[in-house]
Amino acid sequence: MTASTAVRPQPRADEPPPARPRRRPRRPRRSLADHPLPWIGPAIALIVLVVLWPVYEMVRTSTLRISTSGFVRGDAGLDKYRKLFAEPDLGAVIGWTLVWTLTVVGLTLLLSLGLAQLFHQDFPGRRITRWALIAPWAASVLMTAIGFKWMLDRTAGVLNTALTDLGLTSGPRDWLGDPATARPWMVLVAVFVSLPFTTYTLLAGLQTIPAEVYEAATVDGSGPWQTYRRITLPLLRPALLVALVINLINVFNSFPVIWGMTQGGPDSDTATTTVFAYQLMNTDIGESAAMSVVNFGLIVLLVLVFLKVSRFQEDDAR
Amino acid sequence: MNRRTLTLSAAGLCLALTLSACSGASSGDAGDGTLTLVAADYGDKASNSSKGYWDGVARAFEKENPDITVDVQVVNWNDIDKHVRTMLQSGNVPDLLQTGGYADKVADDLLYKADEVLSVSTKANLIDSFAKAGEVDGTQYGIPFVSSARAFFYNKEILRKAGVAKPPTSWAEVRAAAEKVKAEVPGVTPYALPLGPEEAQGESMIWQLGNGGGPTNGSGAYTLDSKANVETFGWLRKNLVDPGLTYANPAATDRKTAFADFAAGKAAMLNGHPSLIEMAKEGKVDYGVTAIPGKGGPLKSTLGVADWMMAFKDNGHREEIRKFLDFAYAKENTLAFDERYNLMPVTQDTLDEMQGSGRHKDLEPFFALLPSAVFYPLGDTSWDAVSAEIKKSGGSAVKDDPAAVLGDLQKKAEAAAADR
Repeated sequence: MTASTAVRPQPRADEPPPARPRRRPRRPRRSLADHPLPWIGPAIALIVLVVLWPVYEMVRTSTLRISTSGFVRGDAGLDKYRKLFAEPDLGAVIGWTLVWTLTVVGLTLLLSLGLAQLFHQDFPGRRITRWALIAPWAASVLMTAIGFKWMLDRTAGVLNTALTDLGLTSGPRDWLGDPATARPWMVLVAVFVSLPFTTYTLLAGLQTIPAEVYEAATVDGSGPWQTYRRITLPLLRPALLVALVINLINVFNSFPVIWGMTQGGPDSDTATTTVFAYQLMNTDIGESAAMSVVNFGLIVLLVLVFLKVSRFQEDDAR
Repeated sequence: MNRRTLTLSAAGLCLALTLSACSGASSGDAGDGTLTLVAADYGDKASNSSKGYWDGVARAFEKENPDITVDVQVVNWNDIDKHVRTMLQSGNVPDLLQTGGYADKVADDLLYKADEVLSVSTKANLIDSFAKAGEVDGTQYGIPFVSSARAFFYNKEILRKAGVAKPPTSWAEVRAAAEKVKAEVPGVTPYALPLGPEEAQGESMIWQLGNGGGPTNGSGAYTLDSKANVETFGWLRKNLVDPGLTYANPAATDRKTAFADFAAGKAAMLNGHPSLIEMAKEGKVDYGVTAIPGKGGPLKSTLGVADWMMAFKDNGHREEIRKFLDFAYAKENTLAFDERYNLMPVTQDTLDEMQGSGRHKDLEPFFALLPSAVFYPLGDTSWDAVSAEIKKSGGSAVKDDPAAVLGDLQKKAEAAAADR
């Protein structure tokens, strides 16, 4: 920063030193900058405006009757929650949300462990392949999802044509129209876009493990699998934990992959709770808000579990 | 970095956050003598945007009425609902709005009655079936603006190859024709049944009409799970979906897919509206148009769709609005708009002109259908919510148990009707 004017008069070299100690030793004058508020103010304002206020609005909306043009028609009490819990689709949606989150996160971690190990090795072209791994991360997730949607298109999809030409399927199929086939494809895309971040986190973790540990293990006659299980994995635990939790939250909240590929359809057969809340918005804004509140509760629960687990981590480290 | 600059930037950030929270206030309150018109854009590119049309009408109107100015805002279809909602909520209410639905505004008591803003002659000129569709509880609020009707399209070449001599007129004949197409012309969808979220409510209503059913009964109560409707979906499932005579997953197939398939010569039959004519011509498809097959024979009525004009009473510009609407609904203006976008008229004089001029041969099968068109229960203020429910889950009725799916929908519709 160029503006270098001092806030307070600083003793300057050319200033004659105080001759007599007649003046009381000067305490620094309290300026605006010494109050804590200007420093934490922006953070507080940000939290209030971006976090607390929307949460308040969300909860309030869930207790209102709102017309489709957005006019409030009165208080609904807990009616919207009752309506939400009476939705015939809700059970299946929550079930699929759980399966979706666990499958995507599990597969992502497994694949990333392998990929991270691979990229940790020295091989010609490693730098290029490491860059290439960033691609799914750098591209917009919605764009990736829509790209896959068209690749799987019933009549024009390139993947459909390829699968047929390779003799893997008997003819073009409507992959995304049937939940039984749409779900695996969506999981695949979600794993694809989660891999780069997870792999890089684990790779960073691998790089912190000192080489001496491995040397010692070799000297003691440990085989590769044993080394991996007894040395690499335990030392990788902090990185693994970060990757796990961030992925859990990310995948649980994942909207673009599902919306881009099936919009949660047919009906709500491929919708997670987040997408379901969005679907409900078309029919009842209050009920949609109620779903969001429930979703928010689930996320808070997830975060609490994380805090608890990471505390375990500290205890272990001691 | 020293402290003053830090303090300043911290304070600045605070200020910026506070300010940004209250920006976006109303813009340009309409003074007296200024009419605000918000209209949907029917064009698909800058050169044929509706903005050009409305600006022309507004300038011509201002020339005749120098004391009134018209402020035209044209918004594309994707954003217009949100745009209007924002205007209403910020108290920046337009005087006139031309868009897809009106009933929710009636429920919030925002609109003038049609009688209050239309002269007797303009009102009498509206085709009856459309004027009726603009009524809420017997009073007309919605003023029809343009319309469209459905008819049965078929690909002549495919039917000829399949050995179907004449287009089907009943459900049984649709099935028979579809079976021949499946056997003789592989790679073509025999009947395109789009029950996906784009317009499930339209396709299902057309089929229900064929069985004497429909979303509501004569007195306006919802009958989504009536015997006729359950039977209709049962028939579709057993005769078109299960034997593979249509898409594998109708509930996930949108109308635009069906239209695109037909225009590419990949679908043999479907229910379409006039915009499909242009698409079929561009795709060089030799198509035919006929009455929609019902269960026992061709349907005498069809599903009509209209877009609406409505007048808001918030600014009290009743006289100015009446003058403008009389001007805008004059034959030369409505005719220009309908011809510009190949849409169907809602006024009698324009219909006569288009039918008589011989310039609209393609539209002729549709003109005949207009007076007998039936509509969604548009005047029911709960229809928007019910229609959204049908769009979301109506399509599963041809895959799962129709009675269960329609029963769930009926329950939701009754709840929505009670909640309005």
